[in-house]
Formats: sequence, C-alpha cells, structure tokens
Amino acid sequence: MNKELEHSFVTQLEENQNIVHKICRLYTNDSDAHNDLFQEITIQLWRAFPKFRGDSKFSTWMYRVALNTAITLYRKSKRRVKTQDFEGVSFKISAEAYDDTVEEQLKLMYSAVKGLNDVDKALVFLYLEDKNYREISETLGISEVNARVKMNRIKGKLRKILNP
Amino acid sequence: MDELELLKAKWQEREQEFPAVSYKDIYKMILKKSSSIVKWIFVISIAEILFWIVLGLLTPETNKALIQNIGLQSILNVIYIFHYVIIAVFLVLFYLNWKNIQVTDTVKTLMRNILKTRKTVKYFVIYNVAGTALVLIFVNLYFYANKEELYSLISKGNEGYAALPPENFFPVLFVSFLVVGIVLIAFILVLYRIIYGILLKRLKYNYTELEKMEE
Repeated sequence: MNKELEHSFVTQLEENQNIVHKICRLYTNDSDAHNDLFQEITIQLWRAFPKFRGDSKFSTWMYRVALNTAITLYRKSKRRVKTQDFEGVSFKISAEAYDDTVEEQLKLMYSAVKGLNDVDKALVFLYLEDKNYREISETLGISEVNARVKMNRIKGKLRKILNP
Repeated sequence: MDELELLKAKWQEREQEFPAVSYKDIYKMILKKSSSIVKWIFVISIAEILFWIVLGLLTPETNKALIQNIGLQSILNVIYIFHYVIIAVFLVLFYLNWKNIQVTDTVKTLMRNILKTRKTVKYFVIYNVAGTALVLIFVNLYFYANKEELYSLISKGNEGYAALPPENFFPVLFVSFLVVGIVLIAFILVLYRIIYGILLKRLKYNYTELEKMEE
C-alpha cells in the first residue's frame, strides 16, 4: 500500500474518530473491549478504504463499515466478564451546571438504549446522530417506511423501560 | 418521547469525551491483523472442505485390494468422478459467495452474504455425510449379495476372521459397520452444530431481527 493512501486514511480517521468511539461505547461494556472493537473497526475501515471513492463524506462512509463491524464481524471475547458499568459508560455532561434530574434522566435513557439488541441499537444510534430515515434505511438495508415504523416501536419500548 | 429527544439534543449539542487515539496509534492499528468472525468462518470452512476431500482420498490398501477382487472397482470409479465434480462445484460456489462479502454493504446484505457462505459449506457437509452413508449402504448390500465370495476373500488374509464360522461372520461384520457408521455421522453432526452455533448465534439472531422489520 502506498504511503499517500495510508496518510490520507489515518488523518481522516483521526479527525473522525469520535464516531467510532461512540459506537464502541454503545456496543461494549468495558475499556478493553472498547479498544478491541476500535482496533477491529480501524482495520476494517482501512481494508475497505481503497474502494472509498469520496463521492460521499468520509464520515458517512464510516457509519456503515463501523456498524457492520460492531454488529456482525466483531467477536466478543468469551473470557471477559460482562459488567454493566453504567456509571463508566454513561453519557458525559460537561462541567456546565445541569440540574440533577436531567442528568439522571440522561443516564437512564442511555443505559436503556445500551440494553437494546444490536440491531435496534444501531437504529437508535443513527437517529441520535441525526441521520434521516433515508440514510438509516440505506445503512441497515431495510426500507425507509420500515425503518420509521421500527423506530416508533423502539421509542415505545424505551418508554416502557423508563416508565414501567 | 421526552427522554430520547433530550438525549438526542445533548448528543448533538456537544461531543462526548473520549481519550483520543493518536495518529501514530491508528497507524499501528492498520498494520495489525483482523480477528473478525469472517476470518474464522473462512478458516473453518476451508478446514471442513479439506477434511472431507482428504477423507475421500484415504482408503486403506487392504480395502482397495478387496474392492478390486470383488468387482466393485468400476462402479466406485464412476462414483469418485461424480464426487470430484460435485466438490469442484462447491468450491466455485464457496469462492463466489466469499467474494460477495463486503464490509461496505448494508448491514442486512452483509449478514445475508455471510450466512449464505456458511450455508454452502453446510450443504457440502450434508452432501458428504449423506454421500458417505449411501455409499456405505450400497457397498454393504453388494457385499451381502456376494457374501460367500467376500468371506473367502477376507478370511484368506486374516486369521481372526477365518476363525469365525460364516453364520457368525456376517452379523459381526455388518453390525460393526453399522455401529461405526452411525457413531461417525453423529460425531460429525454434533461437532458441526457446535462450530456453527458458536460462530453464528449472534449473527443469526440479528439477521432475524432485521428480517422481522421487513414483515
């Protein structure tokens, strides 16, 4: 592989790495697994990079490869103890003062999302990233109408989890 | 959905904080080897295909002589040719499915292509198990139809068999064939289920979830 390609890839990934981190945080439960998944996504992105033509934004292209890796390709290590470390993975709010109930609500919501199955989680993730239903449907490979219907169902599911 | 909208608003408002991975570390990562499920599926599939090809090639010398003497050679040759044609077809199918697996496909297409690749290997295993069973049954029926000749051929070279009178010889021979055959096939099926289950449980579950969305 030529150096120029490597440089171009690493620079762009470095700039956009937060997308990968957000997916890793949603799909893993501790920092070791997080780093593992980050590495696997990086490898998969790099392998697919020669075919990336730049007709879409690098970040848009990343979503698909990263989600594919998290949902389908990544093998969770069996040896790892499964811990639901909600404090550690909870949605971080900066130093700015929020009242506690808002913070609490955010944490609960985040952990509810984290508890969804892999596919539902992907849908919610794209929704939180403010992707429209066309983009969501194109990433997952389902129709736009069904993506919308499913998202509404997931909202209902989350509502139930939070307000039993 | 107030809480989800709240989360979305905050999600958009500010970037979440993560320890940044440096240029150098990313560079190091792209030199590492993938440990993805696709790699494992590939390795296991190739191992399974090789296992069955090698198993087909292994026939003990004593059996070869027996088959020749009892007149099965020409029929078995036809079966072998047929068998290698089928292997070639499976290899081509496996390769084509394999080439279709692209990480840049949609989530659903990627899953479908991986499952398809596995399915090809599954059919290959089924073909081999069923084929082996059929050939064994056929050979035994043939032996049964020519049992006097078989007895004289086998007892000629083996004192242990020669010690058995003919009326005991055939029940012992056929029952032992049957038991070995059933144990072998059961073992292969169990092994296959385990490998298949470990690798694809989550993938299958997720694929079903996506399928359900389209209903």
